[in-house]
Amino acid sequence: MLLTDEEKRMIDGAYGPGTKRAMELLVKYGESFDAEKFASISYGHISYDFCPEEFWDLMTERVSRTQHRVTTHPSYSPEVWKQWGLPLADNWAGEHQRKLKRFLELGWLRTETCAEYLLGITPRKGDIVSMGGSCMQVANNSLFGARVDRMGILISLAAAVCGRTPLMGLLLPENRYASHLVELDDLDVTNWTLSHYHCLGYYIGDQIPGFKPVAVNGLPPNVPFDFARALVISMPTSGAVTLAHIVGTTPEASTLEEALGSKKPEHVLRVGKREMKKTWEKLNVWDSDVVEHVAFGCPHATIDEIGRIANHLEGKKLKTSMLIGASAPVEALARRQGWADIIEKAGGHFQSVCPSITNPFTRRDIAGEKQAKSAATNSARCAHYLATVCRVKVFFGTEEECVKAAITGKWKGELPK
Amino acid sequence: MKMRAHTINGGKAEGEAVVYNGPFSFLGDLDPATGKVPVPRHPLEGKSLANKVFVFTTGKGSSGGDFAAWAAKKNGNAPAAIICLESEPVLSGSVIVTGIPAVDRPEGNIFELIKSGDYVKVDATEGLIEISTK
Repeated sequence: MLLTDEEKRMIDGAYGPGTKRAMELLVKYGESFDAEKFASISYGHISYDFCPEEFWDLMTERVSRTQHRVTTHPSYSPEVWKQWGLPLADNWAGEHQRKLKRFLELGWLRTETCAEYLLGITPRKGDIVSMGGSCMQVANNSLFGARVDRMGILISLAAAVCGRTPLMGLLLPENRYASHLVELDDLDVTNWTLSHYHCLGYYIGDQIPGFKPVAVNGLPPNVPFDFARALVISMPTSGAVTLAHIVGTTPEASTLEEALGSKKPEHVLRVGKREMKKTWEKLNVWDSDVVEHVAFGCPHATIDEIGRIANHLEGKKLKTSMLIGASAPVEALARRQGWADIIEKAGGHFQSVCPSITNPFTRRDIAGEKQAKSAATNSARCAHYLATVCRVKVFFGTEEECVKAAITGKWKGELPK
Repeated sequence: MKMRAHTINGGKAEGEAVVYNGPFSFLGDLDPATGKVPVPRHPLEGKSLANKVFVFTTGKGSSGGDFAAWAAKKNGNAPAAIICLESEPVLSGSVIVTGIPAVDRPEGNIFELIKSGDYVKVDATEGLIEISTK
């Protein structure tokens, strides 16, 4: 790769061993994709809690406060988990505290969410952002037109330390046109819920090879934000899609021609009722109908979602535990509305944790013998990781079905018509 | 039989092949504590990938693939080497960060030429795959 003088100083060690190692890693990574040079980032997004401590220490050793903004992914709260009576919470405290201290020394922002755009941290069209977190990568790319390449959590730390990302992949405008077109067949989306969009996105992600940009055609114009988000964020769970244009909704897809760059798509994928039903079935992995936990907020909940859940839970008592993944500012707004109180009185919890991969109620290594053995969710992404990472039985259904399950402790979900 | 491929991450390794004609994520598709595939109804469910030469199509899934790969490697449960059709950034980052020898874009049809159980040597630095049929 061709390095600028500043980048050469980084790799020569002028900014200390952490920056040097990070730059060496980025060069190796960029060269494996034949990148010719680096781009400066508008801001970076990392995850300190997901980062193994050894790697975190290697990358941040003697790094000074960065000039660019760096934000962070959902985090752990071992002290709160302890208050909730989860027996193994203490195991998580030391490493979390050490990394958090270093994170703050670097002047980085504790956004602790996979949905920063809900906090007003929104890239403009064309901004180059380096980030870990496949669901915010695809959201920032698709819904805001930012230029974000697919990238792992550990590489994103190296990029945040250096303020650089290899100029490749989806950062290059010519690679942003959809090569794969999705056409909807016999689907009437009039009464679709969030879960339907999750399910559709999960199916599409599974069918698209690699991380080819996708255009979804046939939805009504200006799909509401929460629905558009559910559709795109589910794709990099079953697959690797990192840019999904929704024709008539997203900024680089006012028309189908714009989304495709006026080229013929390489492949057309047709989705109908049959595929929706099969995917919905696949996301359900359970034998008995007993529900022990309900997870919302994958990706982190919007204030509207929390309002709807509160509305269902007014004066109710939950049979299951319930976790709503939400950023601290959105939780604060829910508290001002009085909604957080209603949900907490019913027995639900809020936290800026990932309710899928590190859901403290379903992780054996946090909850110990109190681990919930089955969980319901309205998110395909959450269903996928509850089944594979937490290894619990999973019920996938609508928000309403999940709320009912939390109240009754029984699953009565139905397949889509 | 020998075959050329493109280097993702250098190094040499060899072992028994596990072949899966589909995409793979280190996060979710490999239990770092056991080295086995934990996914319900997955064709490789319960099979170990630890110290195997793992042959598949491409990467997929969460950007957390790299920290999951790191955990698997620390536990001695990562594949010895990786051969795939075409890599993507999360997969490439994972093997570069953890030091797993890996190649992609092989010149031959790996799903025809390599079967699970074959013994495979990968020289990722040179971009060479050598297959000894079971």
